[in-house]
Amino acid sequence: MRVLKFLTAEAWLAGLLALLGILGLAFMSDLVAAPKVLFGRSLTAIPPSLFPSLVLGALAILACMLLYALRKSLLADESKTFEEGAFLRVVLLFAIMIFYALTMSPLGFFISSALSLVGVAWLAGNRSIAQICIVSVVSPIALYIVATRGLAVSLPELSTIEFFYARVFETFGGFMSGPEEVAQ
Amino acid sequence: MIEQFAEGAMMAFTLETIVMIAIGLFSGMLVGALPGFTTLMAMAILLPLSFFLDPLVGIPFLLGVYKGGIFGGSIPAILVSMPGTGAAVATSIDGYKLTQKGESRKALDIALFSSVIGDTFSDIFTIMLIFPIAILVMQFGPPELFAVLLMSLVIIVATSGSNPLKGLVMMLFGLWLAQIGTDPIGGVERFTFGLFELKSGIPLLPMLIGVFALPELVYAVMRNEKASGFAKLVGERLNRVEFKRCIPTIRRSTIIGTSIGIVPGLGQVVAAMMGYSAAKNASSHPETFGEGEIEGVAAAEAANNAVNGPTLVPLLTLGIPGDNVTAILLGAFVAQGLRPGPQLFEEQGSIVFGILVAMVLANIMFVIIGYLSIPFFARIVTIKTGLLVPIVIMFAFAGAYVFRSDTTDVLMLVAFGAFGLLARAAKFDVMPMVMGFILGGPLEYAFGQTVAMAGNSPLTFMFTERLGMVAVLVATPIIGYILWRRMRTATA
Repeated sequence: MRVLKFLTAEAWLAGLLALLGILGLAFMSDLVAAPKVLFGRSLTAIPPSLFPSLVLGALAILACMLLYALRKSLLADESKTFEEGAFLRVVLLFAIMIFYALTMSPLGFFISSALSLVGVAWLAGNRSIAQICIVSVVSPIALYIVATRGLAVSLPELSTIEFFYARVFETFGGFMSGPEEVAQ
Repeated sequence: MIEQFAEGAMMAFTLETIVMIAIGLFSGMLVGALPGFTTLMAMAILLPLSFFLDPLVGIPFLLGVYKGGIFGGSIPAILVSMPGTGAAVATSIDGYKLTQKGESRKALDIALFSSVIGDTFSDIFTIMLIFPIAILVMQFGPPELFAVLLMSLVIIVATSGSNPLKGLVMMLFGLWLAQIGTDPIGGVERFTFGLFELKSGIPLLPMLIGVFALPELVYAVMRNEKASGFAKLVGERLNRVEFKRCIPTIRRSTIIGTSIGIVPGLGQVVAAMMGYSAAKNASSHPETFGEGEIEGVAAAEAANNAVNGPTLVPLLTLGIPGDNVTAILLGAFVAQGLRPGPQLFEEQGSIVFGILVAMVLANIMFVIIGYLSIPFFARIVTIKTGLLVPIVIMFAFAGAYVFRSDTTDVLMLVAFGAFGLLARAAKFDVMPMVMGFILGGPLEYAFGQTVAMAGNSPLTFMFTERLGMVAVLVATPIIGYILWRRMRTATA
């Protein structure tokens, strides 16, 4: 019970950082490549593992001190706790964001945005079908036009969608042309 | 340097710069006016847009977002007692009382005028201060740079929002993140785990958007807010007599805000509170403060906006961001191929001065845009988060992607967002981590160069031969004082 009470957000984070420091130090030789050597002498004044060793060593020690201070209640526990409903919304929101990030490349910007933003709008408490449609369909199109035509940067595209929009832009001609096309 | 200043001033007066400053001011006010949406989030989301503009257009655009956002935060603070930014908390004390008395228009007018006056004077002070500091900094070598970078990190930890031990742990974590990728001295791989995507290190942009913007959006979803009531803009405009009465308060708060802006890490919230307290203490009628006193609004707004200029001094002269806003600005500089610091003054001083002149220009435009658009922003306050959060998330994802056209950056954005949320729940300030990440590379490089210069006795070399000793001697009592004050506050 005492252990469970100790596992607050603060303790989790301090524990993770302590573990990072300890594991980083333990596997330093595997994680940092050997320095470049010429005629038996190192080419640099400090080896590439020196600075990481200092940083990870200090991180391990201080994070362990923080854990100790939290366990012995030397530091007040400032962790925030979420109510169950709110916590579930956070988990769902991150699931949607991971889905958005993973589908952006294979599905293209429009489809991944449309699918993800419907979920986000719903989670954020929007129940108006018209507003959800505007957010999930119109706003990605508007951003796409501004980014690709106005700023001349690319967003991930699915070839069929790209083909469809290329036709739309072609139809509208110079009105939507990018800066380089206007120059031509 | 005078020639560079004149050249920079000429470069700043272009139509493109003026238009983008106006767009930045408008965007900043728009986001600042929305309760729950911060200036920092707006800057992080709009940062990628600046990459595709000229440095003298993109960076003033972000400065416009910053200035507009700080004032925008005072609109919901005055109209519905919901500060749009932390800096506007002090404004809401008297601002909302004025709204309840039917004088919201007057409150917003004085907030705008005192913001602009405070900001303009601090910007002029910054321009004057930057000359001697830049001349001094140009004499710096690697040991001095190492000492100053180390000192900056310690000051940031000491003034961070969380416990100093937590701040130190986060700073070390940031330093470690900076070591992922290729070693800046020897050119060998470190902590890449064999992944090609990590060879060039962790990109700054997904980290900035992830830790600063995503947790704000997640909290907005968690609160599940509906429209925040109905905001009304009523009453007469501010008259000349009332404005003249506020001038001594604005002057005092401007000095307080400017002084606080020079110290890294303190920022607008502290300045606004100190400006408000000083005005109340100096007033012949302190009992009216908290009951709808326009001087209270003027004090808070002048102080929090006067911070804006001086926070740029360490960034521009040494390349050290003093707070999270200047960390985002540093991201904009780096993406433009400019590395703030002594070399930037030597090589492209006119750009630096152009940016400073653009800041003053932004203030002039701020009065006009702010005065005309207050009625519009008064309506914005009531927009639902359910409509805005998805659009802002889309901007965040597109922004993280466009810089390198790599979906790995989008995944990193989500990872940093999750970390930022955990850190916020655990009351760990992410600012020292971001600073550690930004300064980690230059710190290690300066350390390596110092060791190479010093041979076998680097510490003796640094503390006896060079200016680094001066930096440490000056910094130690300051850091000691800050820590002593914080410990006293904690035990009180």
